[in-house]
Amino acid sequence: MTTANNPPAVELRGVTKTYGSGERTVTALDDLDLIFPAGTFTAVMGPSGSGKSTLLHCAAGLDRATGGEVIIDGTPVAGLSERVLTRLRRERVGFVFQAFNLVAALTAAQNVALPLRLAGRKPAAGEVTAMLGEVGLAKRADHRPSELSGGQQQRVAIARALVTRPAVLFADEPTGALDAASGREVLRLLRASVDRHGQTVVMVTHDPFAAAHADRVLFLADGRVVDFLTGPCGAQEIALRTARLEEGRPAEVLS
Amino acid sequence: MRLAWAMVRHRFAAFAGTFVAVALGVAVVAGATTIYLSSRPEAPERYNSAPVLVRSPSVGDNAFGEPEYQSWTAGEAIRLSGELAKLPGVTAAAVDPVFYAQRVIAGRPAGDPQDALLAGHAWSSAALGGYRLAAGTAPRGPGEVVVAGVAPGSRMPVLTAAGPATWTVTGTVDGPGFYVADREALRMSAGVRVIGLTVDGDAEAVAGAARGVVGPAGEVVSGGARDSLEPVSVTRTRWLGAQLLIAMVVLGGFVAVFVVASTCALGAAQRRREIGLLRAVGATPGQVRRLMYAETLVISTMAALAGLPLGALTAPLLTGPLVDTGLEPAGFTVTMQPAALAGSFVLGVVVALAGVAVAARRASRAPALDALREAAVERRAMTPLRWIAGAATAALGTLLLVTMPMMATTDQSSAGLGAAMLLLTAAAALAPIVIVPLVRLVTWPWRGAATGMLVREGTLIAVRRVASTAAPVLLTVGFTVLLTGTVATIDDVQGQHDADNIPATVVLAPDGVPGLAETAVQAQAGTSHLPTRLLVTRGATTAGYDAEGAPPSELGPGPAGSSGGVVLDKTRAKDLHASVGTTLDVRWADGSTAALPVRAIRAAAGAGILVPRELARQHDPAALTSAVLLNGPPVASVGARPMSARDYVQIEIDEEGELIDLFLLVLIGLTVGYTGLAVANTLLMATSARRPEFRTLRLAGATEAQILRVTSAEALLAVAVGTLLGAGVAVASLSGVRAAVEAELDRAVALVVPWGTAAAVIATCTVVALAATTLPVLRRSRSAT
Repeated sequence: MTTANNPPAVELRGVTKTYGSGERTVTALDDLDLIFPAGTFTAVMGPSGSGKSTLLHCAAGLDRATGGEVIIDGTPVAGLSERVLTRLRRERVGFVFQAFNLVAALTAAQNVALPLRLAGRKPAAGEVTAMLGEVGLAKRADHRPSELSGGQQQRVAIARALVTRPAVLFADEPTGALDAASGREVLRLLRASVDRHGQTVVMVTHDPFAAAHADRVLFLADGRVVDFLTGPCGAQEIALRTARLEEGRPAEVLS
Repeated sequence: MRLAWAMVRHRFAAFAGTFVAVALGVAVVAGATTIYLSSRPEAPERYNSAPVLVRSPSVGDNAFGEPEYQSWTAGEAIRLSGELAKLPGVTAAAVDPVFYAQRVIAGRPAGDPQDALLAGHAWSSAALGGYRLAAGTAPRGPGEVVVAGVAPGSRMPVLTAAGPATWTVTGTVDGPGFYVADREALRMSAGVRVIGLTVDGDAEAVAGAARGVVGPAGEVVSGGARDSLEPVSVTRTRWLGAQLLIAMVVLGGFVAVFVVASTCALGAAQRRREIGLLRAVGATPGQVRRLMYAETLVISTMAALAGLPLGALTAPLLTGPLVDTGLEPAGFTVTMQPAALAGSFVLGVVVALAGVAVAARRASRAPALDALREAAVERRAMTPLRWIAGAATAALGTLLLVTMPMMATTDQSSAGLGAAMLLLTAAAALAPIVIVPLVRLVTWPWRGAATGMLVREGTLIAVRRVASTAAPVLLTVGFTVLLTGTVATIDDVQGQHDADNIPATVVLAPDGVPGLAETAVQAQAGTSHLPTRLLVTRGATTAGYDAEGAPPSELGPGPAGSSGGVVLDKTRAKDLHASVGTTLDVRWADGSTAALPVRAIRAAAGAGILVPRELARQHDPAALTSAVLLNGPPVASVGARPMSARDYVQIEIDEEGELIDLFLLVLIGLTVGYTGLAVANTLLMATSARRPEFRTLRLAGATEAQILRVTSAEALLAVAVGTLLGAGVAVASLSGVRAAVEAELDRAVALVVPWGTAAAVIATCTVVALAATTLPVLRRSRSAT
């Protein structure tokens, strides 16, 4: 898998994120330098509180970094107004959440079309259907979220995230609320989007089997990248690294 | 817009509160404005066949904003009508004197006393209404009358201002009223104020010609302008009704905004996740705001469309009650008022959009991250906007309350209502501040029990939910206590005040009549005043004043050689720049003029001007005495009965009180109905949204009864918070009212707190709150099994 040669979809330069002030300051991200090259699938792992969700939020422009620079698809987000940032997110970033991702009032097709409509664009004929077809739900276009299973809902969410052909797709524990079979289906979809369409995917997960679908796995602890694996990596290897990390021996691993 | 429509369709239940609030608000406003606009001045029916009317000149507006007319003397009127009759196109010119006449049946005065004041007419004026002699002959001499429904030749006992009489019916007429010979009518009435013309041909041409003849001696009206001849009593009746209708519209609008705002705020808080999700997938804050406006637009349009027919169809049903309670004149009918309906529709939509504005603003600022968090815990209950709005309304309300003593008595009631609205809004906005300490205090005794802990922690975490529920309760309790308390306090004072002014212990009072006839007064041993109205000219200005005819003994000795002097009280003397010896140019009710010297100025002089009773009687033949203070045994007279002074005052107070009670009943009913709706809606929404929480509780081993105890306790807590705050605001405002009254009267005044009404309102709120929390819990537990 090529990684280094591709232009970056998202780049973090010295990004710091702190919460609170004074003695109660919590550092979630600590001077982080990261590049997510276009067309790659990155998994972010780490124990609770390691800062992996914060990393995702800052990289996606959902949250603003305290210091450093976040560059999404060539655009630095610092200093952008909420409106411009929202537009950038709408056009260049897709997002898949752990659960409850869909607007309950809208059908699957309407949910997928939502980002286009919010951008004031009428979906081209067949655009939405094609997108739903890619996630295998063409026949469920007119169903509302309550009539779909959890896995199906998550696939609709992926279709919605990909419909704008974003520069990067962020997924926050996308399989966390799903059973194993549905989870595998979702991961296969993410993998396929990278392989077939050159999509960039960044996924936060704590599940080694999910992370095994990625090209690269980053391990986070205390707001820093403490370890990484590249190339197709087995779930066992990932689980092993995770376990070591949680035992508090990251330095040894790094060396 | 499509998204908004989908939202509304999908979660109609969440918008039901807004829907019902707007629908009811539009119905109330549409109904009230329809009635208001239907109630236009109308020329009396008895001028139906007189397209041109000539009215005596006005000298300007009086203190009530009504024009003050001077009468033509009988001579002036006859001369003028003679000239008018000669104009081409005029078939007849009829002088229209009006006097008091009331039929007596079996020794009792019959019919409505107020109508009787205007029941006597000259026979020639019957032609103005197109009324014709159906049988018999026209009245020619004294004691002859033509009426409807009594056979010619009958003897008919009547009461007039002079006293009881028995008239002979010479004929029957197909119109209402008593028609006597013209000369008799002129003798019994106080001057003439209208001359009617029946016309053959173009009315406008005749009106133009008539203007040439009349000149400054009167005003010629034709076409729609004839409606200004509506009797003053009818105008006042409609004015009273209009006050109630205006209050209903204002209150209806205010409460609708209040309910919509609190419903929307809660709805938006519950939809934080959904809104956060929209933000995360790329909706800008502006788009979120527009979505919420669009949703409200859809809902309020549907609601307004539902409310309009409700209001328009209910309005005609209210005709009867309104006429019966004296808020609209007899013969009032409701007509379709497209302007009222259109206005109400627009108002409903605008009110709903105003209500959602704050919620939309707040929601649109929600960070997109909220979609990623399980954010059931509120961060801050008090927002800067809440602080600002609360402080501003509190300051304004307090200001209004403090300045109340300086206002005219007539403005005080609306000022009180305005202050109440402002202070209650302030209390609602600032409620979260007091909820936390209050909850800790109230739940302290049960801190050990599971229920106590759940209630305490549940409400402390969701302060806004409690505030949303407490707000309508606060509004209702505050309004009710303040309005009824103010009225009761002022009533209480007024009663004492009026009773203080009546020295004699027994009075002779009217009984089924508008006032006492002259013979009834003369038969008694006692003192009385004869009320009349004088036009006094000082310099270039002429104004009307109430005056009373008093016996010579009360007027005291006059300046040497004059018998006709007047006595003024200090205020009136100041108004007129008069001192003892000044000569006043006056015009009597009958149109004749006189120069009357001021013979004394006293601290109190009846209505302000006392004139010799003989003169008052002579120049105002239709005047009636309101009561006689007896100093001997009463002599039985038709239409009079003796009673204690206190009873007499009480009757007057009660009459006024009945009207005020009616106003209160309508306004409080409106408020309670609305807020009951708001309480129910808020709690239904809140309880339904807590489904997962209850599921967790059940899984943790809570029984149905325990969950119900928790929800009920929370509902009661919210009601208690609302009650405390509402009562607090009300009592503070009431103290302000009391201070105002005390400053005015310069003596201590008892504060009357309407416990009964307050208890009833609180009980209603409690029942509604309990029902609204219990039902969703029960329904769910049934569907869950």
